Amino acid sequence: MSGMSIILKKELKRVFGDKKLVFSMFILPAIIMIALYGIMGFMVGKMNSDIEEHINKVYVVNSDDRMKNAITQSGFDKTSDITYLSEADYRANEQEYRDEILNGNAEMIIYMDQDFDQKFKAYVDSSSPVPALKLSYNTTENYSQNTYGMFMNGVLEVYRTGLLEERVGSLDLLNVFDLQNDVIEKEEKAQSRFISMMLPYMIVIMLFAGAMGVGVDAMAGEKERGTLASMLLSPVKRTSIAAGKIVAMMILSGISAIVYVVSMMVAMPVMSLMGGEETAMAEGFGGLSLNLVQGLQLAAIALALVFLFVAVISFLSIRAKDTKAASTLISPCYIVVIVAGMLTMFMSGKEVPVYRYLIPVYGNAIAIKDICNGELLATNFLASLAGTVIIAIILTIGIAKAFDDEKIMFNA
Amino acid sequence: MIQINGLTKIYKLNAKKMQELKTKENKKIAVNNVSLEARPGEIFGLLGPNGAGKTTTLRCVATLLKPTKGSVSVCGFDTIKEGAKVRDSIAFLTNEIKLDPNFSADYMFKFFGHLHGMSDEQIVARQEELFGVFGINDFKNKKIEELSTGMKQKAAIAVSLVHDPKVVIFDEPTSGLDIVTARSVTDYLKHLRDCGKTVIVSTHIMSEAEKLSDRIGVIIAGQKVEEGTLPEILERNQAEDLEDAFFKLYSKYHVEK
Repeated sequence: MSGMSIILKKELKRVFGDKKLVFSMFILPAIIMIALYGIMGFMVGKMNSDIEEHINKVYVVNSDDRMKNAITQSGFDKTSDITYLSEADYRANEQEYRDEILNGNAEMIIYMDQDFDQKFKAYVDSSSPVPALKLSYNTTENYSQNTYGMFMNGVLEVYRTGLLEERVGSLDLLNVFDLQNDVIEKEEKAQSRFISMMLPYMIVIMLFAGAMGVGVDAMAGEKERGTLASMLLSPVKRTSIAAGKIVAMMILSGISAIVYVVSMMVAMPVMSLMGGEETAMAEGFGGLSLNLVQGLQLAAIALALVFLFVAVISFLSIRAKDTKAASTLISPCYIVVIVAGMLTMFMSGKEVPVYRYLIPVYGNAIAIKDICNGELLATNFLASLAGTVIIAIILTIGIAKAFDDEKIMFNA
Repeated sequence: MIQINGLTKIYKLNAKKMQELKTKENKKIAVNNVSLEARPGEIFGLLGPNGAGKTTTLRCVATLLKPTKGSVSVCGFDTIKEGAKVRDSIAFLTNEIKLDPNFSADYMFKFFGHLHGMSDEQIVARQEELFGVFGINDFKNKKIEELSTGMKQKAAIAVSLVHDPKVVIFDEPTSGLDIVTARSVTDYLKHLRDCGKTVIVSTHIMSEAEKLSDRIGVIIAGQKVEEGTLPEILERNQAEDLEDAFFKLYSKYHVEK
């Protein structure tokens, strides 16, 4: 066995030989993620059904028969407790009605002009006054907000259509053109729109988090405990020790990232199942389908990213005095990774120049987005790999040199 | 055989270190022109107060530090040019270098055996011998972190000797051990000497150095101030015992510095 493989085996055993560590590194995050999304789905579902089942208290002031019919026709009266008020009744207790809305005890006041019908009938041209319909509701109360939506989409549409028909005689007169939507799009891009926005961000964040979990302890932790020095006393080359540790960390953080992604894939349907209906996020995750080449491209980019992240974390950790100092050094890198991932979420469809693919993390995130959309060009794919791997190799050389540096290893 | 010729080790100090050490100089001479020799079949006792330069000297021998000036050779291998061969020839044990607490003594023994290029059969044979001598078999499968100080030290000594090295360098090997365990360690060091190994022991315990060492070297303020057998040192310093000689040397060289 070569020195590198002995070190690699030991590093893997350190994790896989410890049931508690395996549970906390790989199983617990999956359980937490699935449980968290399940709870979120359950809470959202509960909130939605609660809103649907709630009887909304609504006041209608100066209502005419058309409004009453519209309310009945749209079914608004089935979910609402409606009180019809005259102008005098309303004015007598106006503040009380408004306070009810403010305190969440009533959902909406629909106030129609006293002379609504006269103004409507007296309409001649655009210079004629139009009657007012005032809706009072509370945007900070879910029930009130929902009542407003139901009224706008249901009652008001029926009411407006009825009035227009009365004014022009036939609604056909208002039909001046036939609008036809002809959507031209790549099916895979349309299906994976959401995931292509989210996946690059999620992958870079999760890979970094996975690498950070194992990297800090494997370098700064071992240095702090004095166990790294014992390995440096062996005849094995320092580069072999560094390589063994880095490959082990790549494997561990890769597994950790796979666990995160699979958990996310499982968590989304769980979320919609618990919520009783499909959420936009859950639907979006179902839309991604990759062919073999795209799958391999994604795996290659993920591998390059893991290599880079492990190299960055190891490079900083080995220079830190202890794990606390290492975490302090790594935190700014985590922020950079988050920002790089986020930048790709809000990109327009403008063509990205090749040099941007060379930028580590950012270029990889764009490439992942392109893979999801089925648009990754071979040159861009290679550029994104080259930029990342070159930096990772430079850092790895730096790590191997650090193992030989007595100032770094022994604070000499 | 260990040969140290004119070893000098100078540490560069950054501003923070200068502040810590309350000095205006941006360097610290840890070891200054030290030459000594430890031969096969002898135990060489290295004495000196804290911060005298003993550990730095031993670290240079173990290839963990590079000499600023001078040279060190172990079994004829230069520590700079042939570091891997030197490391394969020595056992090095200090309080600052520890076994991974997440593993058992059994695993660590095999791990370091493999790092030294040993076969499974060689490791098993060596393990039977060393684990038997130090009574490690009873706790060999327990994690290092679960062991007492004495057990940890026994495990560390056994692991350091896995590859049957020609040179053994132990820094404070009996530190923190009970009298029974300490005795088993010193007895084994004598056994190693009798097997023709070169043994260097750094210690603060004068009585231990007196009983154990065939020759003794004293380092004070980075300089070797004495080297010889116990009778030679006592005669030169007109002292009754080693402790007496040490204090005479200490007051002489420490004050002069």
